[in-house]
Amino acid sequence: MSEPGEILYEVRNLSKRYGAVVALDDVSMFVRAGEVVGLVGDNGAGKSTLVKCLSGAHQPSSGQVLLEGVERHWHSPHDAIEAGVETLYQDSGLAPHLSVSANVFLGREELKPGILGRMGFLAQKSMDTRAHEDLERVGIAVPASGRSVSQLSGGQRQAVAIGRAVAWASKVIILDEPTNHLGARQAREVLQVMRSAKQQGLGVIFISHTLPHVLEVTDRVVVLRLGRVVRDAPTSEFDAESLLGTITGLNAT
Amino acid sequence: MTQTDTHVAQAAGTQVTEAPSRAKTLFSNQQFLLFLVWVLMVIGFSLINHIFFSVGVAENVLADWAPLVLIALGELVVIIGGGIDLSVGAIVGFSGVISAFTMKSLHGSGVSGPATLVVGIAVCVLVGLLVGLVNSLLINYAKLVPFIATLVTLGACSGLALVFTKGAPVMGGPPEAIKLAPAWLGPFSGPVLVVLLVVAVLWLFVHKARFGRYTFAIGSNSFAARAAGINVKRHIMRIYMLSGLLAGLAGFFFYIRLGSGAPTSGLGNELDAIAAVVIGGAALTGGVGRVSGTVLGALILTTVTSGLIISGVDPQWKRVVVAGLIAIAATLQALRKREGAAA
Ligand SMILES: Nc1ncnc2c1ncn2[C@@H]1O[C@H](COP(=O)(O)OP(=O)(O)OP(=O)(O)O)[C@@H](O)[C@H]1O
Ligand SMILES: [Mg+2]
Repeated sequence: MSEPGEILYEVRNLSKRYGAVVALDDVSMFVRAGEVVGLVGDNGAGKSTLVKCLSGAHQPSSGQVLLEGVERHWHSPHDAIEAGVETLYQDSGLAPHLSVSANVFLGREELKPGILGRMGFLAQKSMDTRAHEDLERVGIAVPASGRSVSQLSGGQRQAVAIGRAVAWASKVIILDEPTNHLGARQAREVLQVMRSAKQQGLGVIFISHTLPHVLEVTDRVVVLRLGRVVRDAPTSEFDAESLLGTITGLNAT
Repeated sequence: MTQTDTHVAQAAGTQVTEAPSRAKTLFSNQQFLLFLVWVLMVIGFSLINHIFFSVGVAENVLADWAPLVLIALGELVVIIGGGIDLSVGAIVGFSGVISAFTMKSLHGSGVSGPATLVVGIAVCVLVGLLVGLVNSLLINYAKLVPFIATLVTLGACSGLALVFTKGAPVMGGPPEAIKLAPAWLGPFSGPVLVVLLVVAVLWLFVHKARFGRYTFAIGSNSFAARAAGINVKRHIMRIYMLSGLLAGLAGFFFYIRLGSGAPTSGLGNELDAIAAVVIGGAALTGGVGRVSGTVLGALILTTVTSGLIISGVDPQWKRVVVAGLIAIAATLQALRKREGAAA
């Protein structure tokens, strides 16, 4: 585990093109251990694209990704997960036909002990119990472990996705609009979750359009506009108005 | 926490309680409905012609059922994973032909009958695995959609089988194969036991093991599966190779039944397999399906075929009846889905 204050996860001069579309243009940013960084910008600014490059879901067209100062090349999300970087995607992070616990444990299934486990048989009961505990720890809208995700409300799904990310993150946690679909009260719980992740020394990257939340919970804000970083400054330097102005590019300062 | 829990439960108007009672699950259970449909069919056909209710007919039904279940279970796994495999019928014919050529030359060079048959099985299975591998390479790397990828191998395999054989069945295998044929019928014959074993193993791996969990996850949301760290390409390869393997095994079954490797022996089997899977309640959109449903779906199909023949109906009606069954199954599923979405 990195010391608080040390740069934990970083991208340098990252660009990402989708054919002719330049979604990210020479982006550099970082998150320290024990820090919450807000990543904001208008629709289409490139936030989710950056998230996907950070999580290994997409390969950047150019630029570097460094974890604890070491350059890394994620060939797939598997590599990033193994290294302790956990991501909540804006949409479609869950498999709707699977149960709550199957989703929480997806890709990291607990197997039965002994020979059965080596043949790939699942320890379903134990996963159900542990998934419930993990979600309870997060404290938002805990659905029964055995229910299929397709039967959950939008907020409950979001809770499962957050619980999943929080339960497994060991270094960095990236949350792309985690308060989507959540009621005011559940959204507050998510902010609390981020604070406790920070206290545990994780680096948190928080993407949101809800600026009051960003101002409340982050230590630093990175503003993206049309694929470029236009501002990277401590949260204390912003108020609601100036942050909005920086995002839209309409303020004179 | 509990407070929040109840709060949300009330807001959504749902209950957070666990599984419904056993009786309720039994009756809302689609497998149970399928079983009822099958029992009614058997009763109906027996009333039309009492001969239907006999050991001889049961043997025939099971003899048709055995290879169909093999193919359909492979198809089921592919469909749960969000794909489709049109090549299975062609694999049956192609693997049977290649295996027949191999056995013919082994037998000709004096290799013992049993050894020749073992090699014959191995060749069928290997051909199936190979075609499955090609399917997965076309899907994973040439980025073809499964429908097109397996249509390509369907064409290649059925075409090559005809080219190699000039359309005639390949004979000249060991006489032991012919001796096996009668034993190939009957409820407790070798193949039926083999199939029951395959059913049990697949049920375990699809519904109780990580293999199935990954298959459902990929069919449900392949982005989420990859994001969770699953090696989706490797799993797709396994799925199509499994389907090919089972189709190859079915190819050997047909070889024994016919006593030769016929290039057209699996013609149209992919449609029967897909029908069995759909009747068994799986969704072509992926993420849904049960081994027990497919086993029953295949049983219903083969029962209909025999039933029509024995009832004196032109067996060509089979396709029409099967089409009707598919329509009913698909409609039920669409209705259930809508209900689910509304709830
Ligand atoms: N898979 C893709 N193929 C082509 N273009 C894409 C793809 N994904 C994103 N883009 C483009 O890249 C740009 C950045 O999109 P991105 O999703 O990163 O924005 P965002 O900042 O997350 O927006 P939002 O706030 O709406 O979520 C947009 O112009 C978008 O159209
Ligand atoms: Mg986005």
